[in-house]
Amino acid sequence: MSVSTVPEPKPTSPSITPMLEMKGITKRFPGVIANDRVDLSVRPGTVHTLLGENGAGKSTLMKILYGLYQPDEGEIFFEGKRIEIMSPADAINHGIGMIHQHFMLVPTLTVAENVALGLHPALSRADMGPVRRRLTEVSDQYGLKLDPDAYIWQLAVGERQRAEILKALYRDAQLLVLDEPTAVLTPPEVDDLFATLRQLTADGRGLIFISHKLHEVMELADEVTVLRDGEVSGHTTPAESSREHLAELMVGRSVSLTRDVGVSEVGPAKLQVDNLYVRGDRGTDAVKGLSLEVRAGEVVGIAGVSGNGQRELAEAIFGLRPVVSGSIAINGEEVVDHTPKSVRTNGLAYIPEERMKDGAIGDFTVAENLMLVGYKEPPFARRGFLNLEKIKERCTDLVHRYAVKTPTVETPTRNLSGGNIQKVVIAREFSSEAEAMVVAQPTRGVDIGAAEYIHEQLLRQRAAGAAILLISEDLDEIMQLSDRIIVLLEGEAMGEVMRGDATVGEIGLLMSGVR
Amino acid sequence: MGDFFTVSALVVTFASGIRLATPFLLASLGETLGQRSGVLNLGVEGVMLLGAFGAYYTVLKAGSQPLALLVAIAIGIVMGLLYAVVTLVMQAEQGISGIGVFLFGLGFTDLAFQKWVGTPIPIARLEPWPIPGLSDIPVIGEVLFQHNPLVYGAFLLVPIMTYLISRTTFGLNVRAVGETPEAADTLGVSVNGTRLVTIIVANVLASLAGAVVALEVGNFQQNLTAGRGFIAIALVYFGAWRPFGAMVGSLLFGFVLALVNQWGALGIISGSASSLAAMAPAVLTIVVLVFISNRVGQPAALTRPFDRSN
Amino acid sequence: MKSSGKVIGKLLALTAAMIMVLAACGGGDSGDSGGDEAGPFRVAIVAPSADNDVAFTQSIFDSVNRVGESRDIEIASSTGLFVVEDAASALRGYAEEDYDLVIAHGSQYGAPVEEIAKEFPEVAFAWGTEVNTFGLANVSAYTVRSDEGGYAMGAMAAALSEAQNIGVVGPIEVGDAKLYVDGFKAGAEAQSPGIAVNVNYIESFSDVALAQEAATAFVANGADILTGTAQMVVGATGVAQSEGVAWFGTQSNQSSLGADIVVASQVYHWEVVLEDIIAGIDEGDLGGESHLLTLENGGLEIEFNDAYPLDGAIKQIGEDMVAGLKDGSIKTGQ
Repeated sequence: MSVSTVPEPKPTSPSITPMLEMKGITKRFPGVIANDRVDLSVRPGTVHTLLGENGAGKSTLMKILYGLYQPDEGEIFFEGKRIEIMSPADAINHGIGMIHQHFMLVPTLTVAENVALGLHPALSRADMGPVRRRLTEVSDQYGLKLDPDAYIWQLAVGERQRAEILKALYRDAQLLVLDEPTAVLTPPEVDDLFATLRQLTADGRGLIFISHKLHEVMELADEVTVLRDGEVSGHTTPAESSREHLAELMVGRSVSLTRDVGVSEVGPAKLQVDNLYVRGDRGTDAVKGLSLEVRAGEVVGIAGVSGNGQRELAEAIFGLRPVVSGSIAINGEEVVDHTPKSVRTNGLAYIPEERMKDGAIGDFTVAENLMLVGYKEPPFARRGFLNLEKIKERCTDLVHRYAVKTPTVETPTRNLSGGNIQKVVIAREFSSEAEAMVVAQPTRGVDIGAAEYIHEQLLRQRAAGAAILLISEDLDEIMQLSDRIIVLLEGEAMGEVMRGDATVGEIGLLMSGVR
Repeated sequence: MGDFFTVSALVVTFASGIRLATPFLLASLGETLGQRSGVLNLGVEGVMLLGAFGAYYTVLKAGSQPLALLVAIAIGIVMGLLYAVVTLVMQAEQGISGIGVFLFGLGFTDLAFQKWVGTPIPIARLEPWPIPGLSDIPVIGEVLFQHNPLVYGAFLLVPIMTYLISRTTFGLNVRAVGETPEAADTLGVSVNGTRLVTIIVANVLASLAGAVVALEVGNFQQNLTAGRGFIAIALVYFGAWRPFGAMVGSLLFGFVLALVNQWGALGIISGSASSLAAMAPAVLTIVVLVFISNRVGQPAALTRPFDRSN
Repeated sequence: MKSSGKVIGKLLALTAAMIMVLAACGGGDSGDSGGDEAGPFRVAIVAPSADNDVAFTQSIFDSVNRVGESRDIEIASSTGLFVVEDAASALRGYAEEDYDLVIAHGSQYGAPVEEIAKEFPEVAFAWGTEVNTFGLANVSAYTVRSDEGGYAMGAMAAALSEAQNIGVVGPIEVGDAKLYVDGFKAGAEAQSPGIAVNVNYIESFSDVALAQEAATAFVANGADILTGTAQMVVGATGVAQSEGVAWFGTQSNQSSLGADIVVASQVYHWEVVLEDIIAGIDEGDLGGESHLLTLENGGLEIEFNDAYPLDGAIKQIGEDMVAGLKDGSIKTGQ
């Protein structure tokens, strides 16, 4: 499939030369070209968005920029001069800062200590006084409020991100790379972050913003470079482009971004949760008095930033986590403290949020994973003996029906991409013809094309009369698919809204605790 | 039968406890620093034996105790470099490599002793250096200030090590590297460089700990350090990866050993009772192992080699 | 006769191969497995510590070498095997190589000796220090009345002590160590009723530093004579040397550990029983008996350190005791 490459956009003010130019960057790993002659140029005072699917080569390119990898070919120019970046220290010295998606912070150190790390000669007194003062100045200037003496482990996710940004600003980074910075934030926090980023560009700093959320890209970017399979598949600006066009550049074919949910007939309640209390791993209540009901032919979405009781709720329903009090009923039958097997027998399917940990066994073949449920039943097994013929037949059919891209059904599952592993899990669970299902984070880490397919399958199940509890951090996903939305905060329902009754902003406020 | 609760008996016991604590302390301080940077060295015992033999042999042949300490330091540096190559460059599994170091130390010192010395020939023991003025204080002076210089040195290292870890930029690097090496790396802190330094310091202190044993005893025997290096590692966990904690643990072990010893010497316990009492260190070790299961304060990256491409 | 360290126990098991190799290098020559009838008498020794420990293990090597002065023998050895499992594999190896006599020199080696001797009924084993032969015709047991020399030296020590305070550093309360300590104490009390003889078993055969602290504690508490047994005593003799306190040694001649302070040593002459055992083997008798070293049969001897200025009267006390023990007029009470 060929994709037209958009011509170079006209710079908004031609007099400004780029602060960063990466030219012809190529990086090969055994068996794969991660970056193939990639060009990227960033002008001061602008946000340049790097867009691409997982594995398209974004992180490799940024690791090269930050000195973590050395390119096999290509040149890097910074402020007009050709530079070699051999290590992160070099990158920092040139004024390049990076906000990592997985925060590079030491949890047992304070904010100030994290900031001071690596700044001073190796053997000198670690005097936090001046660090603290300068840090306070910088955080006041950009409205990034943070206690310099707080330990990182005490901070919430949004605060940790502020610490990460402060680390780069303290070093007076002129070019900041932000790797999927919004992935862990609530919508109001995203708004705050964007305000800070705009302030940074107003100061003349350049930003590289990595994301796969198209609406964020359209909102924030001055320029967009799209990577696909290690190559630049397009270079454009939001003004000259559209979300659909960007998605096409990412995936290499046209993708539908809006879901036609259609109308489905709502039947009796299939899954009922009443006044449920569940404990989290730390022994405190993670779900506090939650009640909900999912009826046949309905998708109920659970929105919220992760860590607010979603995982515990899903595990409790499926019998994987003990319930403190309250009731859970499937098809009207009480299933509290039942085993997962018995819950399944009652008609519940489960798509867990960690597909490689709870959903599939990496060393098993695709066929074996597909048969994890139902392998004991005839015709696949009789008196404890597997009928491999029938199993293979069935699995080949499922792989075909659910469009799993795999060389054979005998391929070890871990060799598949995230999207295809998720399709294996979905094929297994959906084909069990359960009447109720708990679906957690179905498209996290999945490319747009696979996500589109998974969403279609979910809606097909809904149309067939399944009751679906959809748990997702992706607010777009929740809003597109759900008939009703429950916002979860610290284990409690903050409110319930019907489709079309609320905007992203309103749900975002509920997610951050404002009713 | 003597009476334990006399001032003189208590003074002797506490002074003995401090002497017995010294090798534990030196070795566990070094290991504390090493582990704070994320490096486990189970070979402490082996390095102690090498240091002990090196110091013994130097005094035997050259008659100089200061030279013996320099030799022990040199042995520590060499063993540190060796361990750094194995764990940082070759990224070998640290538990196994440490046991290799132990086996090497045990076997090599035994062989070298038999080949080069033959029979345990006594050497001059370390003389106490009473600190003028302070050592004249009744009781306290006798307990604290009538030791050999290595005892003072080991205890002085406690505040020095504490300051180094918590108040210097090097200590900040050590803590970061032991906790989240990736974060330290992205800020331009050399992970392996920092670990190289801590490994060398840890090995030098282990080697000196062995030298203390040999020079205090004034002789050498196969397996001279008798498992003290392993107890020192347990004390790092017991001390929650803090120099002061390591000191508390070392003193606890030293005092229990001295107490049981003293009771035996005074005839307070004898026969099977003394056998039972002599198990106290073993019981204490088990208590320490229970502490280990808590692992409060354990560096998150302990035993994890750093590799940027991961 | 050696306990493993308390923490290192399991780890030491891993050392088997390495230590055996290294110890074999330092030990005697190992012979080829020729098995020629007319060749030398082939003896294998398995022992817990080094052959130069100035104590238990050295005593058997010295004795075998003394046997070698009068006949042609070939010695192979594995030393440093304080882990019984390692000793077992060494014993089995020598039995397979068909040695004329395999000596298991350590009372802790009982279980492997019993097992392996049953498997190799044609091979003669000698096990000490013990009296039990397991009823096997190819096992000789040998042990020592170390209490006898201990008694004589205890009497001398009591006469020598001005403070009437003696310290004894023991390893673990078993075997010849216990016999020696008990005999020493009985002799001292017989000579000087009311004397303080304090015994401290440090529960280790190898912890030299702890032996040193034990000796230090005795001296600090007023002891002016020290004695002790097993290989960790070098820590205690160091204290005796620097504090100028007299020392009585046992197992081997310990004068080399302190020419100024060692008064006398009780020396084990295992050759007395070894010659018996070997003579039996020559006649086709592979064992089945229990042998004993005593002052009377010459297996024990008090060797005085000529460099120590011992008062003639005190030396006479010792010699009188030895004579009495030999003719049976004096009993150690053991």
